[in-house]
Amino acid sequence: MSHSLSAIGVSRAYHGVRVVDSVSLDLKPGVVTALLGGSGAGKSTLLRLFAGLEPVDEGEIRLGDRVLSSTKTTLAPDKRHIGLIFQDFALFPHLTALQNVAFGLKLLGKDAARTEALAWLGRLGLTERADAYPHEMSGGEQQRVAIARALAPKPAAILMDEPFSGLDPALRASVRDAALEAVRAAGIPALLVTHDPVEALEAADHVAIMRGGKVRQEGPAAEVYMKPVSADVAASLGPVNRMAAADVPSGLADVAQGTELVVRPEGICLDPSSNVHASVLASQVTGAMNRLVLDAAGQRLVALVPRHQAPKAGEKVGIRLDPALSFMFPSAKP
Amino acid sequence: MAGLPLPARAFLPKRLNLRPADTPAVLAGVIIAVPVVSVLVAALFMGGGEAWQHIRDTLMLPYLGGTLGTLAMAAFFMLAFAVPAAWLVTMHDFPGRPVFEWLLILPLAAPGYVLAYAWGDLMGVGGPVQSALRDMTGWSARDYWFPSMRSMPGLAFVLASGLYPYVYLTARTAFVSQSICALEAARSLGASQLRSLWSVVLPAARPAIAAGLALALMETAADYGAAEYLGVPTLTFGIVRAWKSFGEPAAAARLAVILLVLVVGLLLAERWSRGRAGSQQSSTRWRAVSRTKLSGLGGIGAAMFCLVGFSIGFLVPVSRLVWRALEAREYIAPVGEALKNTLILAGAGAAFGFVLALVIALAGRGKGPAAAFARLTASSAYAIPGAVLALGALVVLGGLGLTLTGIVPVLALAWVYASRFTTTGAEPMVAALARAPASLGHAAESLGASPLRRAREVDLPIALSGASAGALILFVECLKELPATLMLRPFSWDTLAVRANAYASDERLAAAALPALLITVAGLIPVILLSWQLSHSRPGEHTHES
Repeated sequence: MSHSLSAIGVSRAYHGVRVVDSVSLDLKPGVVTALLGGSGAGKSTLLRLFAGLEPVDEGEIRLGDRVLSSTKTTLAPDKRHIGLIFQDFALFPHLTALQNVAFGLKLLGKDAARTEALAWLGRLGLTERADAYPHEMSGGEQQRVAIARALAPKPAAILMDEPFSGLDPALRASVRDAALEAVRAAGIPALLVTHDPVEALEAADHVAIMRGGKVRQEGPAAEVYMKPVSADVAASLGPVNRMAAADVPSGLADVAQGTELVVRPEGICLDPSSNVHASVLASQVTGAMNRLVLDAAGQRLVALVPRHQAPKAGEKVGIRLDPALSFMFPSAKP
Repeated sequence: MAGLPLPARAFLPKRLNLRPADTPAVLAGVIIAVPVVSVLVAALFMGGGEAWQHIRDTLMLPYLGGTLGTLAMAAFFMLAFAVPAAWLVTMHDFPGRPVFEWLLILPLAAPGYVLAYAWGDLMGVGGPVQSALRDMTGWSARDYWFPSMRSMPGLAFVLASGLYPYVYLTARTAFVSQSICALEAARSLGASQLRSLWSVVLPAARPAIAAGLALALMETAADYGAAEYLGVPTLTFGIVRAWKSFGEPAAAARLAVILLVLVVGLLLAERWSRGRAGSQQSSTRWRAVSRTKLSGLGGIGAAMFCLVGFSIGFLVPVSRLVWRALEAREYIAPVGEALKNTLILAGAGAAFGFVLALVIALAGRGKGPAAAFARLTASSAYAIPGAVLALGALVVLGGLGLTLTGIVPVLALAWVYASRFTTTGAEPMVAALARAPASLGHAAESLGASPLRRAREVDLPIALSGASAGALILFVECLKELPATLMLRPFSWDTLAVRANAYASDERLAAAALPALLITVAGLIPVILLSWQLSHSRPGEHTHES
């Protein structure tokens, strides 16, 4: 029986600056919601409001029908039953992995706590490391202990603040998959704060984009990626080409005056039959795709094309747009 | 605040929102502050008596002059040796350099009075130096002039030889952590090595050097034993005498206020310098110092320079005391009783100080005004001479109608020790807690731990990881303290320091040597801890800490 963890119109200001500005966000049970934004967007502050580490200046934090934070009261973090996972893992340095996990299981009694903690370590593949101290463990192991410790007391929700950014890139995906699998299995609301759009899109079910203290858009990951509501939202999910109406090479798209064209790099396709031509300034291997820097009638464009199709620098190519990956928004500047 | 009814809450100023949980920290701060505050109160509100008139008219100027002159000369000696030594050791390579790097700290182990006994004996008319001179020249004692240790320059020399490591340490740290890039930029712009030293390195290191010097001068001002033995009138000497000979705590308190003004000036200078030292580093890139190799005469010269400093501050005086102790073994008085008294009194002081330190460190985790108050009080009290604090305790005891009998003097002494030295125990614990990320506390809370459980099971074990060193340093500091012990000890309870002082005053140096050496050996423990810490934590090298 899990409830949603909800922020309803919450605000928080430091020295008169509204770091979180009237944000409403619903975290549903069993769903991993990514909160994506650059530094200073207010995402960590929003997490601290959910956790009760800070009071709200406006609005409410609720778990189901229960009010956790309001302008009048702030339920202490230790009374909320909400798990936290930190970028630095925050394992207690003087306790072993097993003791760390058992820390939140005080109510069970000593033996039951030990059994339960061991079971959690087993679930995350750490049975052998039960007696290791944090400094004896690798980053990935520490991260898994932190997840086990947060989930063991069966929290009502779990909040993760950049939990994977301290990990070796080679290790990150596998630790992340194991961790989020355990989080989803718990069937509770989960918030993943991240500045990495790839992580948000790959790992989360639901994405909320935060900028300047406000949530600009939220929805299923694919929907937010394919249907951004503004040029800024589109840009925060990955690189884009942005062109004012006057700069769009003729024949590429019909763009009304006062409108901005936003195209993802993979939305620029090579098409020999197209009568819009561009010269290739550079062609760089980036893995499965090649990154092309193009010059189309003086407009610089970046395109991503499969490597086997990629032209060489200096060649001339025909290009067209993929309408699914091209968006038009009213210009920010008139 | 949550428990206060609303009207009361509205009246409390926002910055002083003390919670019930702050009470222990505030209490600790008050316990530490009372001795020095009561000295101030006594000086202001208790009449000085007849003794004060006498002291003011005939003794005050010599006392003040003695202290100021000693401070100035000691500052000169320390700067002249410690800064070049630190520069040689950090920026150059010469024979014996790695050993000198830590040997140069050892003089901190011996308190000033121990060095004074040894140097006074060595350089006296009957001492080995003058005897050798007479043997070589055939002169008699009246035929020549010889610098006397029993003078203000002599006192400054002796104290500086034991306290220069404060300056050496801060200068060395400043040189090690300086941006080599800035130095290399200066060289690439055509500045010679000497000019880069003068125009780039020293200005950057100046705040750190000033902070170290201020610390060393606070200790210089606090000295009683060396000044008494060498017969130089200083304020600290005057305070003890005003109390001992005239039996006038109020007169002593007035002298103490003058000393306090000097010490607070030094304290402010140190704080201000340290604040500036924090912002000196502009380059975030750190590169290991590449030492210039000094070969041939240069290398030998550098090694000799370091050797002379180490010899004056440690090797020669300690060897002299060992020699004296061995030479006249039959005169050596048993020290068992004094050792026991020392362990009890220093142990009581260390235990009390440790509890206060723990309270302050754990409160510091909350970072409230109460913790800040307690920490500031503790670190300021460290600068106050032991004689002044002991005087404060005597004033309080007098006000309460208590005499120095039974358990009272033991408790009073433990209180004074704790007042002065708590900060040395608290700072390692505060540092241990500061190294632990704030998220540890949040993690404990998110797992349902109450504030009390968090303090007990998370903060306390982390603080205790820095506690063993703190406790040891506390104990050794208590054991070395002479004037406070002299003033407050239980009747006929001699500690090692008191014994050494008494024998030395009677010119029974052979008997004084053993307790003095024992104190020095104990003093070596924190010094070795310190040098170990230094060699294991250099900027740019990551230590593997949990």
